[in-house]
Amino acid sequence: MGIQGGVTLPDCAMVQFAQVSKTYADGIKALRDVSLEIGAGEFVFIVGPTGAGKTTVLKMIYREETPTRGTVRVEGRDVTRMRPRDVPYLRRRVGVVFQDFRLLPRKTAWENVAFALEVTGTVPPHADGRVMDLLERVGIAARADALPGELSAGEQQRVSIARALVHRPRLLLADEPTGNLDPDTSWDIMQLLRGINADGTTVMVTTHDQTIVNRLRRRVIAMAQGAVVRDDREGVYAGRGGAAAPAVAARGQRGRSAHGAG
Amino acid sequence: MRYALAEGVQGFARNGLMSAASVVITAVTLLALGAALAVAGALNHVAAVLERQLQVVVYLRPAAGDGEIMSVYDQLARVPDVARIEYVSSQEAARRLEAQLGPQGHFQDVLRRNPLPASFVVTAARPERLRAVAAAARDLPGVDEVRDGGFVLQRLLGVIHAVRLAGTAAGVFLACVALIVIAGTVRLTVFARRAEIEVMRLVGATAWFIRWPFVVEGAVTGACGACGAALAIAAGYALLMRGAAQALPFVPLPGAGEVAFEIVWKLLAWGVLIGTAASLLAVRRYLRV
Repeated sequence: MGIQGGVTLPDCAMVQFAQVSKTYADGIKALRDVSLEIGAGEFVFIVGPTGAGKTTVLKMIYREETPTRGTVRVEGRDVTRMRPRDVPYLRRRVGVVFQDFRLLPRKTAWENVAFALEVTGTVPPHADGRVMDLLERVGIAARADALPGELSAGEQQRVSIARALVHRPRLLLADEPTGNLDPDTSWDIMQLLRGINADGTTVMVTTHDQTIVNRLRRRVIAMAQGAVVRDDREGVYAGRGGAAAPAVAARGQRGRSAHGAG
Repeated sequence: MRYALAEGVQGFARNGLMSAASVVITAVTLLALGAALAVAGALNHVAAVLERQLQVVVYLRPAAGDGEIMSVYDQLARVPDVARIEYVSSQEAARRLEAQLGPQGHFQDVLRRNPLPASFVVTAARPERLRAVAAAARDLPGVDEVRDGGFVLQRLLGVIHAVRLAGTAAGVFLACVALIVIAGTVRLTVFARRAEIEVMRLVGATAWFIRWPFVVEGAVTGACGACGAALAIAAGYALLMRGAAQALPFVPLPGAGEVAFEIVWKLLAWGVLIGTAASLLAVRRYLRV
Protein backbone atom coordinates (compact mmCIF):
# COMPACT_ATOMS: atom_id res chain seq x y z
CA MET A 1 0.00 0.00 0.00
CA GLY A 2 1.64 3.23 -1.11
CA ILE A 3 0.79 6.88 -1.30
CA GLN A 4 -2.37 7.29 -3.28
CA GLY A 5 -1.66 7.44 -6.97
CA GLY A 6 1.96 6.46 -6.48
CA VAL A 7 3.74 3.19 -6.96
CA THR A 8 5.64 1.74 -4.04
CA LEU A 9 8.41 -0.54 -4.99
CA PRO A 10 9.01 -3.14 -2.30
CA ASP A 11 12.76 -2.56 -2.10
CA CYS A 12 12.89 1.21 -2.37
CA ALA A 13 13.98 3.46 0.46
CA MET A 14 11.40 4.99 2.77
CA VAL A 15 12.99 8.41 2.28
CA GLN A 16 15.54 9.42 -0.30
CA PHE A 17 17.15 12.84 -0.78
CA ALA A 18 19.16 13.28 -4.00
CA GLN A 19 21.39 16.37 -4.11
CA VAL A 20 18.79 18.52 -2.43
CA SER A 21 19.47 22.22 -2.04
CA LYS A 22 17.20 24.93 -0.76
CA THR A 23 17.87 28.64 -1.10
CA TYR A 24 15.30 31.05 0.27
CA ALA A 25 14.29 34.20 -1.56
CA ASP A 26 16.44 36.23 0.87
CA GLY A 27 19.50 34.27 -0.22
CA ILE A 28 19.80 32.13 2.90
CA LYS A 29 20.90 28.64 2.02
CA ALA A 30 18.90 26.23 4.19
CA LEU A 31 20.20 23.05 2.57
CA ARG A 32 23.32 22.41 0.51
CA ASP A 33 23.48 19.36 -1.66
CA VAL A 34 21.94 16.96 0.85
CA SER A 35 21.80 13.31 -0.17
CA LEU A 36 20.59 10.66 2.19
CA GLU A 37 18.62 7.49 2.26
CA ILE A 38 16.53 6.09 5.07
CA GLY A 39 15.34 2.53 4.83
CA ALA A 40 12.00 1.17 5.94
CA GLY A 41 11.97 0.38 9.64
CA GLU A 42 14.94 2.56 10.56
CA PHE A 43 15.21 4.83 13.61
CA VAL A 44 17.24 7.92 12.75
CA PHE A 45 18.39 10.92 14.77
CA ILE A 46 19.13 14.14 12.93
CA VAL A 47 21.33 16.34 15.08
CA GLY A 48 23.05 19.65 14.66
CA PRO A 49 22.95 23.24 15.84
CA THR A 50 20.06 25.62 15.35
CA GLY A 51 19.76 26.60 11.71
CA ALA A 52 21.62 23.53 10.46
CA GLY A 53 18.66 22.53 8.30
CA LYS A 54 17.21 19.65 10.36
CA THR A 55 13.67 21.02 10.33
CA THR A 56 13.90 21.83 6.63
CA VAL A 57 14.76 18.19 5.91
CA LEU A 58 11.63 17.03 7.73
CA LYS A 59 9.46 19.69 6.08
CA MET A 60 10.53 18.50 2.67
CA ILE A 61 9.42 14.98 3.49
CA TYR A 62 5.85 16.03 4.27
CA ARG A 63 6.09 18.69 1.57
CA GLU A 64 5.74 21.77 3.67
CA GLU A 65 8.81 22.95 1.76
CA THR A 66 10.05 22.13 -1.71
CA PRO A 67 13.73 22.10 -2.69
CA THR A 68 15.28 24.61 -5.05
CA ARG A 69 17.26 21.76 -6.60
CA GLY A 70 17.25 17.99 -6.27
CA THR A 71 14.52 15.48 -5.57
CA VAL A 72 12.95 14.06 -2.44
CA ARG A 73 11.33 10.65 -2.66
CA VAL A 74 9.04 9.16 -0.05
CA GLU A 75 8.29 5.48 -0.51
CA GLY A 76 9.66 5.82 -4.01
CA ARG A 77 7.43 8.71 -4.99
CA ASP A 78 8.93 12.05 -5.98
CA VAL A 79 7.17 14.47 -3.65
CA THR A 80 8.84 17.55 -5.12
CA ARG A 81 6.84 17.16 -8.29
CA MET A 82 3.65 16.17 -6.54
CA ARG A 83 0.45 18.01 -7.49
CA PRO A 84 -0.87 20.13 -4.59
CA ARG A 85 -4.07 18.15 -4.48
CA ASP A 86 -2.13 14.93 -3.80
CA VAL A 87 -0.30 16.43 -0.82
CA PRO A 88 -3.09 15.64 1.70
CA TYR A 89 -2.77 11.95 0.84
CA LEU A 90 1.00 12.07 1.38
CA ARG A 91 0.37 13.59 4.81
CA ARG A 92 -1.93 10.75 5.76
CA ARG A 93 1.03 8.42 5.17
CA VAL A 94 3.49 10.52 7.16
CA GLY A 95 2.85 11.39 10.81
CA VAL A 96 4.43 14.55 12.21
CA VAL A 97 5.13 15.52 15.82
CA PHE A 98 6.40 18.94 16.95
CA GLN A 99 8.21 20.45 19.88
CA ASP A 100 5.18 22.64 20.63
CA PHE A 101 2.66 19.76 20.23
CA ARG A 102 0.20 21.85 18.14
CA LEU A 103 -2.85 20.54 19.93
CA LEU A 104 -6.14 22.40 19.72
CA PRO A 105 -6.66 23.94 23.17
CA ARG A 106 -10.44 23.71 23.21
CA LYS A 107 -10.60 20.05 22.34
CA THR A 108 -9.99 17.17 24.74
CA ALA A 109 -7.20 14.67 24.20
CA TRP A 110 -9.67 12.28 22.60
CA GLU A 111 -11.14 15.00 20.38
CA ASN A 112 -7.71 16.16 19.27
CA VAL A 113 -6.91 12.69 17.98
CA ALA A 114 -10.41 12.17 16.57
CA PHE A 115 -10.17 15.53 14.80
CA ALA A 116 -7.51 14.14 12.49
CA LEU A 117 -9.89 11.36 11.46
CA GLU A 118 -12.84 13.70 11.18
CA VAL A 119 -11.20 16.25 8.91
CA THR A 120 -9.79 13.69 6.54
CA GLY A 121 -13.20 12.08 6.30
CA THR A 122 -11.57 8.68 6.36
CA VAL A 123 -13.16 6.98 9.35
CA PRO A 124 -16.00 8.31 11.50
CA PRO A 125 -14.16 8.84 14.80
CA HIS A 126 -16.87 7.09 16.78
CA ALA A 127 -17.17 4.15 14.43
CA ASP A 128 -14.34 2.13 15.90
CA GLY A 129 -12.20 2.22 19.00
CA ARG A 130 -9.19 3.45 17.12
CA VAL A 131 -8.82 6.74 18.97
CA MET A 132 -9.05 5.06 22.37
CA ASP A 133 -6.66 2.31 21.28
CA LEU A 134 -4.14 4.94 20.28
CA LEU A 135 -4.48 6.84 23.53
CA GLU A 136 -3.88 3.55 25.25
CA ARG A 137 -0.87 2.86 23.07
CA VAL A 138 0.74 6.18 24.08
CA GLY A 139 -0.21 5.61 27.70
CA ILE A 140 -2.77 8.33 28.46
CA ALA A 141 -6.10 6.59 27.94
CA ALA A 142 -7.05 7.60 31.50
CA ARG A 143 -6.81 11.27 30.55
CA ALA A 144 -8.83 11.07 27.33
CA ASP A 145 -11.31 13.70 28.49
CA ALA A 146 -8.74 16.24 29.67
CA LEU A 147 -8.06 19.44 27.74
CA PRO A 148 -4.45 20.06 26.68
CA GLY A 149 -4.18 22.80 29.29
CA GLU A 150 -4.89 20.26 32.01
CA LEU A 151 -2.19 17.92 30.78
CA SER A 152 1.52 18.03 31.52
CA ALA A 153 3.90 18.75 28.67
CA GLY A 154 4.83 15.08 28.42
CA GLU A 155 1.17 14.06 28.30
CA GLN A 156 0.47 16.62 25.61
CA GLN A 157 3.29 15.23 23.53
CA ARG A 158 1.79 11.76 23.92
CA VAL A 159 -1.52 13.06 22.59
CA SER A 160 0.23 14.63 19.62
CA ILE A 161 2.01 11.34 18.93
CA ALA A 162 -1.33 9.53 19.04
CA ARG A 163 -2.69 12.05 16.57
CA ALA A 164 0.30 11.55 14.27
CA LEU A 165 -0.35 7.80 14.31
CA VAL A 166 -4.07 7.98 13.62
CA HIS A 167 -3.74 7.19 9.92
CA ARG A 168 -1.33 4.34 10.66
CA PRO A 169 1.57 6.00 8.86
CA ARG A 170 4.64 4.03 7.80
CA LEU A 171 6.81 7.03 8.60
CA LEU A 172 6.80 9.19 11.74
CA LEU A 173 8.67 12.50 11.80
CA ALA A 174 9.39 14.14 15.14
CA ASP A 175 10.80 17.68 15.12
CA GLU A 176 12.50 18.22 18.47
CA PRO A 177 9.81 16.21 20.26
CA THR A 178 11.57 16.55 23.62
CA GLY A 179 12.60 20.18 23.26
CA ASN A 180 10.09 21.33 25.86
CA LEU A 181 10.40 18.38 28.23
CA ASP A 182 12.50 17.62 31.30
CA PRO A 183 15.09 14.83 30.99
CA ASP A 184 12.97 12.06 32.55
CA THR A 185 9.94 12.87 30.46
CA SER A 186 12.15 13.18 27.39
CA TRP A 187 13.45 9.70 27.98
CA ASP A 188 9.89 8.33 28.33
CA ILE A 189 8.82 9.98 25.07
CA MET A 190 11.88 8.62 23.32
CA GLN A 191 11.07 5.15 24.62
CA LEU A 192 7.59 5.55 23.22
CA LEU A 193 9.00 6.52 19.81
CA ARG A 194 11.33 3.53 19.99
CA GLY A 195 8.40 1.27 20.70
CA ILE A 196 6.54 2.67 17.72
CA ASN A 197 9.62 2.00 15.63
CA ALA A 198 9.81 -1.55 16.99
CA ASP A 199 6.26 -2.06 15.70
CA GLY A 200 7.53 -1.39 12.19
CA THR A 201 7.15 2.37 11.68
CA THR A 202 10.12 4.26 10.36
CA VAL A 203 10.99 7.09 12.77
CA MET A 204 13.05 10.23 12.15
CA VAL A 205 13.80 12.48 15.11
CA THR A 206 15.59 15.82 15.17
CA THR A 207 17.02 16.60 18.57
CA HIS A 208 19.49 18.55 20.65
CA ASP A 209 19.39 15.96 23.40
CA GLN A 210 22.91 14.57 23.64
CA THR A 211 22.21 12.20 26.50
CA ILE A 212 19.39 10.44 24.70
CA VAL A 213 21.26 10.16 21.42
CA ASN A 214 24.31 8.78 23.16
CA ARG A 215 22.30 6.29 25.20
CA LEU A 216 20.19 4.92 22.35
CA ARG A 217 23.03 4.34 19.90
CA ARG A 218 20.99 4.55 16.73
CA ARG A 219 21.81 5.95 13.33
CA VAL A 220 22.84 9.60 13.66
CA ILE A 221 22.88 12.09 10.80
CA ALA A 222 24.70 15.25 11.84
CA MET A 223 24.07 18.47 9.97
CA ALA A 224 25.80 21.84 9.98
CA GLN A 225 25.03 24.91 7.89
CA GLY A 226 22.60 23.05 5.68
CA ALA A 227 24.86 20.14 4.84
CA VAL A 228 25.19 16.57 6.14
CA VAL A 229 28.52 16.39 7.93
CA ARG A 230 28.28 12.90 9.39
CA ASP A 231 26.12 9.80 9.03
CA ASP A 232 26.91 7.03 11.52
CA ARG A 233 25.24 3.74 12.23
CA GLU A 234 24.93 3.41 16.02
CA GLY A 235 26.30 6.94 16.28
CA VAL A 236 26.68 9.43 19.08
CA TYR A 237 25.73 13.06 19.32
CA ALA A 238 29.19 14.50 18.79
CA GLY A 239 31.42 13.04 16.12
CA ARG A 240 34.50 11.02 16.88
CA GLY A 241 37.13 13.36 18.17
CA GLY A 242 34.56 16.16 18.29
CA ALA A 243 34.34 16.34 14.49
CA ALA A 244 30.93 17.99 14.61
CA ALA A 245 31.94 20.35 17.34
CA PRO A 246 29.34 23.03 16.56
CA ALA A 247 26.63 20.56 17.46
CA VAL A 248 27.84 20.37 21.03
CA ALA A 249 27.58 24.11 21.50
CA ALA A 250 23.90 23.98 20.71
CA ARG A 251 23.12 21.82 23.71
CA GLY A 252 20.84 23.61 26.10
CA GLN A 253 19.99 26.30 23.62
CA ARG A 254 16.57 24.73 23.20
CA GLY A 255 16.48 25.98 19.68
CA ARG A 256 14.01 26.13 16.97
CA SER A 257 15.80 26.33 13.67
CA ALA A 258 15.84 29.65 11.88
CA HIS A 259 12.92 28.60 9.72
CA GLY A 260 11.38 26.52 12.42
CA ALA A 261 7.75 27.10 13.21
CA GLY A 262 5.53 27.83 10.32
CA MET B 1 -20.65 18.09 5.04
CA ARG B 2 -22.46 18.50 8.32
CA TYR B 3 -19.11 19.59 9.75
CA ALA B 4 -18.77 22.34 7.12
CA LEU B 5 -22.32 23.60 7.67
CA ALA B 6 -22.04 23.64 11.45
CA GLU B 7 -18.62 25.31 11.44
CA GLY B 8 -19.68 27.81 8.80
CA VAL B 9 -22.79 28.94 10.63
CA GLN B 10 -20.82 29.05 13.86
CA GLY B 11 -18.21 31.27 12.23
CA PHE B 12 -20.97 33.58 11.02
CA ALA B 13 -22.48 33.80 14.51
CA ARG B 14 -19.15 34.19 16.28
CA ASN B 15 -18.25 37.29 14.26
CA GLY B 16 -21.46 38.99 15.38
CA LEU B 17 -21.03 42.66 14.63
CA MET B 18 -18.70 42.17 11.68
CA SER B 19 -21.08 39.67 10.14
CA ALA B 20 -23.92 42.13 10.60
CA ALA B 21 -21.86 44.84 8.91
CA SER B 22 -21.11 42.50 6.01
CA VAL B 23 -24.77 41.64 5.66
CA VAL B 24 -25.72 45.32 5.56
CA ILE B 25 -23.05 46.13 2.98
CA THR B 26 -24.12 43.18 0.86
CA ALA B 27 -27.74 44.25 1.18
CA VAL B 28 -26.92 47.79 0.03
CA THR B 29 -24.99 46.40 -2.89
CA LEU B 30 -27.74 44.10 -3.95
CA LEU B 31 -30.25 46.85 -3.31
CA ALA B 32 -28.70 48.89 -6.12
CA LEU B 33 -28.58 45.88 -8.37
CA GLY B 34 -32.05 44.76 -7.38
CA ALA B 35 -33.60 48.20 -7.76
CA ALA B 36 -32.20 48.42 -11.27
CA LEU B 37 -33.53 44.94 -11.98
CA ALA B 38 -36.92 45.83 -10.55
CA VAL B 39 -37.26 49.07 -12.49
CA ALA B 40 -36.03 47.43 -15.68
CA GLY B 41 -38.37 44.51 -15.00
CA ALA B 42 -41.36 46.78 -14.53
CA LEU B 43 -40.53 48.76 -17.66
CA ASN B 44 -40.07 45.53 -19.57
CA HIS B 45 -43.46 44.42 -18.45
CA VAL B 46 -44.93 47.71 -19.63
CA ALA B 47 -43.10 47.41 -22.92
CA ALA B 48 -44.31 43.87 -23.43
CA VAL B 49 -47.90 44.86 -22.81
CA LEU B 50 -47.56 47.91 -25.07
CA GLU B 51 -45.90 45.78 -27.70
CA ARG B 52 -48.82 43.44 -27.77
CA GLN B 53 -51.15 46.41 -28.06
CA LEU B 54 -49.05 48.24 -30.59
CA GLN B 55 -50.59 48.28 -33.93
CA VAL B 56 -50.57 50.55 -36.94
CA VAL B 57 -53.94 52.01 -37.59
CA VAL B 58 -54.49 52.95 -41.23
CA TYR B 59 -57.46 55.30 -41.51
CA LEU B 60 -59.21 55.31 -44.83
CA ARG B 61 -60.63 58.30 -46.63
CA PRO B 62 -64.38 58.52 -46.01
CA ALA B 63 -64.81 58.73 -49.76
CA ALA B 64 -62.82 55.63 -50.49
CA GLY B 65 -64.77 53.08 -52.48
CA ASP B 66 -64.77 49.32 -52.00
CA GLY B 67 -62.29 48.87 -54.85
CA GLU B 68 -59.87 51.31 -53.31
CA ILE B 69 -60.28 49.66 -49.91
CA MET B 70 -59.58 46.24 -51.39
CA SER B 71 -56.45 47.53 -53.11
CA VAL B 72 -55.21 49.07 -49.84
CA TYR B 73 -55.72 45.70 -48.20
CA ASP B 74 -53.79 43.95 -50.95
CA GLN B 75 -50.93 46.44 -50.69
CA LEU B 76 -50.78 46.09 -46.91
CA ALA B 77 -50.81 42.31 -47.17
CA ARG B 78 -47.73 42.53 -49.38
CA VAL B 79 -45.69 44.57 -46.87
CA PRO B 80 -43.13 42.27 -45.18
CA ASP B 81 -43.60 41.46 -41.48
CA VAL B 82 -47.29 42.18 -41.44
CA ALA B 83 -48.83 39.55 -39.21
CA ARG B 84 -52.50 40.44 -39.22
CA ILE B 85 -54.80 42.92 -40.90
CA GLU B 86 -58.19 43.63 -39.45
CA TYR B 87 -60.81 45.71 -41.22
CA VAL B 88 -62.77 47.96 -38.90
CA SER B 89 -65.75 49.52 -40.62
CA SER B 90 -67.08 52.90 -39.66
CA GLN B 91 -70.00 51.27 -37.85
CA GLU B 92 -67.71 48.84 -36.02
CA ALA B 93 -65.48 51.73 -34.90
CA ALA B 94 -68.48 53.56 -33.51
CA ARG B 95 -69.67 50.45 -31.68
CA ARG B 96 -66.25 49.91 -30.11
CA LEU B 97 -65.99 53.53 -29.00
CA GLU B 98 -69.42 53.36 -27.41
CA ALA B 99 -68.46 50.19 -25.61
CA GLN B 100 -65.32 51.87 -24.33
CA LEU B 101 -67.13 54.98 -23.17
CA GLY B 102 -69.81 53.04 -21.32
CA PRO B 103 -73.46 53.87 -20.63
CA GLN B 104 -73.11 57.64 -21.17
CA GLY B 105 -71.31 57.21 -24.47
CA HIS B 106 -74.13 57.25 -26.98
CA PHE B 107 -72.46 60.00 -28.97
CA GLN B 108 -74.27 59.06 -32.15
CA ASP B 109 -77.48 60.17 -30.48
CA VAL B 110 -75.92 63.59 -30.00
CA LEU B 111 -74.09 63.92 -33.27
CA ARG B 112 -76.78 62.23 -35.32
CA ARG B 113 -74.08 60.84 -37.59
CA ASN B 114 -70.98 58.67 -37.31
CA PRO B 115 -67.78 60.75 -37.63
CA LEU B 116 -65.45 57.74 -37.41
CA PRO B 117 -63.66 56.62 -40.54
CA ALA B 118 -63.18 52.99 -41.50
CA SER B 119 -59.70 51.66 -40.87
CA PHE B 120 -57.31 48.74 -41.16
CA VAL B 121 -55.68 47.69 -37.90
CA VAL B 122 -52.34 46.22 -38.87
CA THR B 123 -50.29 44.11 -36.46
CA ALA B 124 -46.58 43.72 -37.19
CA ALA B 125 -44.85 40.40 -36.64
CA ARG B 126 -42.03 42.20 -34.83
CA PRO B 127 -42.65 45.44 -32.94
CA GLU B 128 -39.52 47.14 -34.30
CA ARG B 129 -40.99 46.74 -37.81
CA LEU B 130 -44.01 48.86 -36.95
CA ARG B 131 -42.57 52.07 -38.35
CA ALA B 132 -41.69 50.45 -41.67
CA VAL B 133 -45.20 49.08 -41.96
CA ALA B 134 -46.62 52.52 -41.17
CA ALA B 135 -44.37 54.17 -43.74
CA ALA B 136 -45.43 51.71 -46.41
CA ALA B 137 -49.10 52.34 -45.70
CA ARG B 138 -48.86 56.13 -45.73
CA ASP B 139 -48.48 56.55 -49.49
CA LEU B 140 -51.24 54.20 -50.58
CA PRO B 141 -54.16 55.78 -52.44
CA GLY B 142 -57.32 55.84 -50.37
CA VAL B 143 -55.38 56.20 -47.13
CA ASP B 144 -56.15 59.27 -45.09
CA GLU B 145 -53.91 59.00 -42.04
CA VAL B 146 -51.60 56.46 -40.43
CA ARG B 147 -50.89 56.24 -36.72
CA ASP B 148 -48.21 54.08 -35.18
CA GLY B 149 -47.06 53.75 -31.57
CA GLY B 150 -43.56 52.66 -32.50
CA PHE B 151 -42.03 55.92 -31.38
CA VAL B 152 -43.17 55.49 -27.78
CA LEU B 153 -41.91 51.95 -27.72
CA GLN B 154 -38.51 52.94 -29.07
CA ARG B 155 -38.15 55.52 -26.33
CA LEU B 156 -39.21 53.04 -23.68
CA LEU B 157 -36.74 50.44 -24.91
CA GLY B 158 -34.02 53.09 -24.75
CA VAL B 159 -34.90 53.93 -21.14
CA ILE B 160 -34.90 50.24 -20.18
CA HIS B 161 -31.47 49.86 -21.72
CA ALA B 162 -30.10 52.87 -19.84
CA VAL B 163 -31.55 51.71 -16.52
CA ARG B 164 -30.06 48.26 -17.02
CA LEU B 165 -26.67 49.68 -17.85
CA ALA B 166 -26.57 52.13 -14.94
CA GLY B 167 -27.84 49.50 -12.51
CA THR B 168 -25.28 46.96 -13.67
CA ALA B 169 -22.43 49.46 -13.44
CA ALA B 170 -23.43 50.51 -9.92
CA GLY B 171 -24.03 46.85 -9.02
CA VAL B 172 -20.60 45.73 -10.21
CA PHE B 173 -18.86 48.50 -8.31
CA LEU B 174 -20.79 47.82 -5.11
CA ALA B 175 -20.32 44.09 -5.54
CA CYS B 176 -16.57 44.65 -5.38
CA VAL B 177 -17.04 46.62 -2.15
CA ALA B 178 -19.19 43.82 -0.70
CA LEU B 179 -16.63 41.25 -1.80
CA ILE B 180 -13.86 43.03 0.10
CA VAL B 181 -15.98 43.52 3.23
CA ILE B 182 -17.15 39.89 3.34
CA ALA B 183 -13.61 38.70 2.68
CA GLY B 184 -12.45 40.78 5.63
CA THR B 185 -15.07 39.26 7.89
CA VAL B 186 -14.37 35.70 6.81
CA ARG B 187 -10.68 36.37 7.31
CA LEU B 188 -11.43 37.07 10.97
CA THR B 189 -12.77 33.53 11.25
CA VAL B 190 -9.84 32.18 9.31
CA PHE B 191 -7.52 33.99 11.68
CA ALA B 192 -9.38 32.76 14.76
CA ARG B 193 -9.12 29.23 13.44
CA ARG B 194 -5.62 29.29 11.99
CA ALA B 195 -4.35 26.74 14.51
CA GLU B 196 -7.08 24.37 13.43
CA ILE B 197 -6.37 25.02 9.77
CA GLU B 198 -2.72 24.25 10.35
CA VAL B 199 -3.53 20.98 12.09
CA MET B 200 -5.96 20.08 9.31
CA ARG B 201 -3.30 20.66 6.69
CA LEU B 202 -0.83 18.68 8.74
CA VAL B 203 -2.97 15.59 9.15
CA GLY B 204 -3.95 15.52 5.49
CA ALA B 205 -7.32 17.24 5.18
CA THR B 206 -7.99 18.19 1.59
CA ALA B 207 -8.01 21.85 0.61
CA TRP B 208 -11.72 21.72 -0.11
CA PHE B 209 -12.52 20.20 3.25
CA ILE B 210 -10.71 23.12 4.86
CA ARG B 211 -12.40 25.68 2.61
CA TRP B 212 -15.99 24.51 2.95
CA PRO B 213 -16.82 26.02 6.37
CA PHE B 214 -15.58 29.41 5.19
CA VAL B 215 -17.46 29.14 1.94
CA VAL B 216 -20.59 28.37 3.95
CA GLU B 217 -19.97 31.40 6.13
CA GLY B 218 -19.50 33.67 3.13
CA ALA B 219 -22.53 32.24 1.36
CA VAL B 220 -24.71 32.68 4.46
CA THR B 221 -23.58 36.32 4.70
CA GLY B 222 -24.35 36.88 1.04
CA ALA B 223 -27.73 35.17 1.27
CA CYS B 224 -28.75 37.21 4.33
CA GLY B 225 -27.79 40.40 2.48
CA ALA B 226 -29.79 39.29 -0.53
CA CYS B 227 -32.88 38.60 1.57
CA GLY B 228 -32.60 42.03 3.18
CA ALA B 229 -32.24 43.69 -0.20
CA ALA B 230 -35.18 41.76 -1.68
CA LEU B 231 -37.42 42.71 1.23
CA ALA B 232 -36.45 46.37 0.97
CA ILE B 233 -37.06 46.40 -2.76
CA ALA B 234 -40.41 44.66 -2.51
CA ALA B 235 -41.50 47.15 0.17
CA GLY B 236 -40.21 50.12 -1.80
CA TYR B 237 -41.85 48.91 -4.96
CA ALA B 238 -45.19 48.36 -3.25
CA LEU B 239 -45.02 51.91 -1.90
CA LEU B 240 -44.15 53.32 -5.32
CA MET B 241 -46.95 51.33 -6.90
CA ARG B 242 -49.53 52.91 -4.66
CA GLY B 243 -48.47 56.32 -5.97
CA ALA B 244 -47.92 55.20 -9.54
CA ALA B 245 -51.28 53.49 -9.87
CA GLN B 246 -52.96 56.81 -9.18
CA ALA B 247 -50.64 58.94 -11.33
CA LEU B 248 -50.55 56.63 -14.34
CA PRO B 249 -53.90 54.85 -14.40
CA PHE B 250 -53.53 53.46 -17.92
CA VAL B 251 -50.00 52.08 -17.64
CA PRO B 252 -50.11 48.35 -16.97
CA LEU B 253 -47.62 47.96 -14.08
CA PRO B 254 -46.82 44.52 -12.66
CA GLY B 255 -47.63 43.77 -9.01
CA ALA B 256 -45.10 44.04 -6.21
CA GLY B 257 -45.23 40.34 -5.41
CA GLU B 258 -44.50 39.45 -9.00
CA VAL B 259 -41.47 41.75 -9.12
CA ALA B 260 -40.10 40.62 -5.77
CA PHE B 261 -40.42 36.96 -6.68
CA GLU B 262 -38.68 37.50 -9.96
CA ILE B 263 -35.69 39.35 -8.53
CA VAL B 264 -35.31 37.56 -5.20
CA TRP B 265 -33.81 34.53 -6.95
CA LYS B 266 -31.43 36.66 -8.93
CA LEU B 267 -30.37 38.56 -5.80
CA LEU B 268 -29.94 35.33 -3.82
CA ALA B 269 -27.79 33.90 -6.56
CA TRP B 270 -25.69 37.04 -6.66
CA GLY B 271 -25.43 37.23 -2.86
CA VAL B 272 -24.27 33.64 -2.58
CA LEU B 273 -21.88 34.12 -5.46
CA ILE B 274 -20.30 37.23 -3.94
CA GLY B 275 -20.08 35.59 -0.51
CA THR B 276 -18.49 32.46 -1.89
CA ALA B 277 -15.96 34.38 -3.95
CA ALA B 278 -15.09 36.50 -0.92
CA SER B 279 -14.50 33.39 1.23
CA LEU B 280 -12.27 31.79 -1.34
CA LEU B 281 -10.31 35.02 -1.46
CA ALA B 282 -10.03 35.05 2.33
CA VAL B 283 -8.73 31.50 2.77
CA ARG B 284 -6.49 31.44 -0.27
CA ARG B 285 -3.42 32.67 1.57
CA TYR B 286 -3.79 30.12 4.33
CA LEU B 287 -4.08 27.19 1.99
CA ARG B 288 -0.96 27.53 -0.09
CA VAL B 289 1.00 24.33 0.16
